[in-house]
Amino acid sequence: MFLRTSSRKGVKCKMNDTGAMIEVVDLHKRFKDLHVLKGISTSVKQSEVVAVMGPSGSGKSTFLRCMNRLEEPSSGHIYIEGIDILAPYIDINRVRTEIGMVFQSFNLFPHLTSIENIKLAPMSVRKISDQEATERGMALLDKVGLVDKAKVYPEQLSGGQQQRVAIARALAMQPQIMFFDEPTSALDPEMIGEVLDVMRNMAKEGMTMMVVSHEMGFIKEAADRILFLVDGLIVEDGTPDQIFNYSKNERTLEFLSKII
Amino acid sequence: MAQPASSQTNISRLSDLKDKVGHVPFIRRNSFVYGSLSLLVIYALFLLPSKGSPDTVDLGRIVIFCLLLLVWAFIIFTDELKPEKLKTIMVFSIFIIAGWLYYRYSTARWGEMGFLFFNLEMVQKAWPTLVEGFWTTLLLAICAAIMSTVIGLLLAIFRSFNNPVLNFFIIAYVDFFRAMPIIVLMMLIYYALPFMGIRLSAIVSGILALGLNSSAYVSEIFRAGFLSIKKGQIEASSALGLNPIQTMRFVILPQAFRVVIPPLVGNYVASAKDTALASSISIIELLKAGLSQKSLLANPSPLIFVTALYLVMFVPLTRFSGYLEKRMKESQRQVRL
Ligand SMILES: Nc1ncnc2c1ncn2[C@@H]1O[C@H](COP(=O)(O)OP(=O)(O)OP(=O)(O)O)[C@@H](O)[C@H]1O
Ligand SMILES: [Mg+2]
Repeated sequence: MFLRTSSRKGVKCKMNDTGAMIEVVDLHKRFKDLHVLKGISTSVKQSEVVAVMGPSGSGKSTFLRCMNRLEEPSSGHIYIEGIDILAPYIDINRVRTEIGMVFQSFNLFPHLTSIENIKLAPMSVRKISDQEATERGMALLDKVGLVDKAKVYPEQLSGGQQQRVAIARALAMQPQIMFFDEPTSALDPEMIGEVLDVMRNMAKEGMTMMVVSHEMGFIKEAADRILFLVDGLIVEDGTPDQIFNYSKNERTLEFLSKII
Repeated sequence: MAQPASSQTNISRLSDLKDKVGHVPFIRRNSFVYGSLSLLVIYALFLLPSKGSPDTVDLGRIVIFCLLLLVWAFIIFTDELKPEKLKTIMVFSIFIIAGWLYYRYSTARWGEMGFLFFNLEMVQKAWPTLVEGFWTTLLLAICAAIMSTVIGLLLAIFRSFNNPVLNFFIIAYVDFFRAMPIIVLMMLIYYALPFMGIRLSAIVSGILALGLNSSAYVSEIFRAGFLSIKKGQIEASSALGLNPIQTMRFVILPQAFRVVIPPLVGNYVASAKDTALASSISIIELLKAGLSQKSLLANPSPLIFVTALYLVMFVPLTRFSGYLEKRMKESQRQVRL
């Protein structure tokens, strides 16, 4: 497996072979006095699509960001493909190449064209040739339906187009896992569909995905599971059908009544 | 008020008139202004002394004439009712009169103007030294620019780590070199350091002083450039697996450079102008070359030539950096829209 090669000789890897793609055990995150994540435990299987829902400020973004260590967790364990990514000998940049992340605000590099945005990481991190990177990049742009925008700078793209380029950029590293943090919240309604279509296709192709989103249609159709986060704790974990139709949890019902 | 309408309009018409005529002070009225102007012209024609260096009484008359002229100009300039054209004429006439007075009464040797100030023969004699001085100035400016860029960039990068200890030293460095006058720094390096066993040639001392001073400003410019980059850019780059050095090289620096180039060019121009200070530690740069040739030939033409050269070099450069600044502001506005 990919991470095992990165461990130093003589240092025993902490393994946790439950066969899960992601395994989170008692994850805590504090910002100074603010206790944001209060012990999250869950696991995600290969090719599973997990939607993360919950009220604003409940810690959804922080949860995702802890899992590729954009935020340093305060305590707990995170295993990706069985490897403890919080262990001191882990090369976190190596881990991050296996986890694609898509942000609410796109965060494309404004000084690079679409194709250059996509090529940057494969060329600089994976050290593949310009030609190969371009070929792969164009294939990805084709996948998100933006081949004709390859040579265009982000500022000339609509929000939906920018987000699709951002997805292609993340996919260019050929990650095992994709995280989406409210990928459609910053978009005008008429552009949400095009982004969700791309995500739906990825789900069909068997990508392991964690999606913070409140797009009910997308979640019902594409998600295998919903994690319901309130105040830094998972209060519910089940299939969309269980949660939308049979939930007895007060907080869940209250939240669902607000967004439907 | 219970006054009949007719008398009310009467009163208001009267006060209107008063506003128009009665409230214009005497000295603002056209009759007074033009009258006094005629008197001033007569004064100039008959009372001013004739050409040559004036004695005290004549000097007094000249001073009074100038004062009256200024009072007249003041009255016209502070009056909105006077036509623009008159004000334009005023400006030109003051320049012409001042020039004419200077020409007429100063002790300058006007006949020898050409020989003294614009003597091409003297410039020709001084030419080899001037050319050498020019290259020295260029060397100083370029070396200082390179040095300040390297140091400034490194400082800004270290500063971005946000390490409190590192920050303390960097801030101390920046404060020190921004507070220290360049000329003092030069003298310190050239005249004081030898006593500590550090003996540097004049030119190295000059480059060092200019470079150190400029590096403080450059580091602040780069820091502002880094701060202008949104956190999301760095997060996106990290999330793709780029390490901090790759993030710096491929994401932060290219974006920061766009923001930084206009103020950076402005800083290089300012620093290039400061090379003239190197004349104080006996570096034969452009100014010193002009000065020494002036003494040698007993003629200020080389100095005048040097002055002109500075203008020819720096007016376009200053313009250029202003243009860059303006263009960046415009492109920023476009992005924001
Ligand atoms: N860098 C930070 N420093 C301090 N507090 C933070 C930081 N990031 C997040 N928080 C706090 O952590 C809490 C959870 O934030 P988080 O962004 O994870 O919520 P969220 O569930 O994603 O909410 P939203 O739906 O509004 O995006 C909030 O109270 C927020 O103020
Ligand atoms: Mg969030």
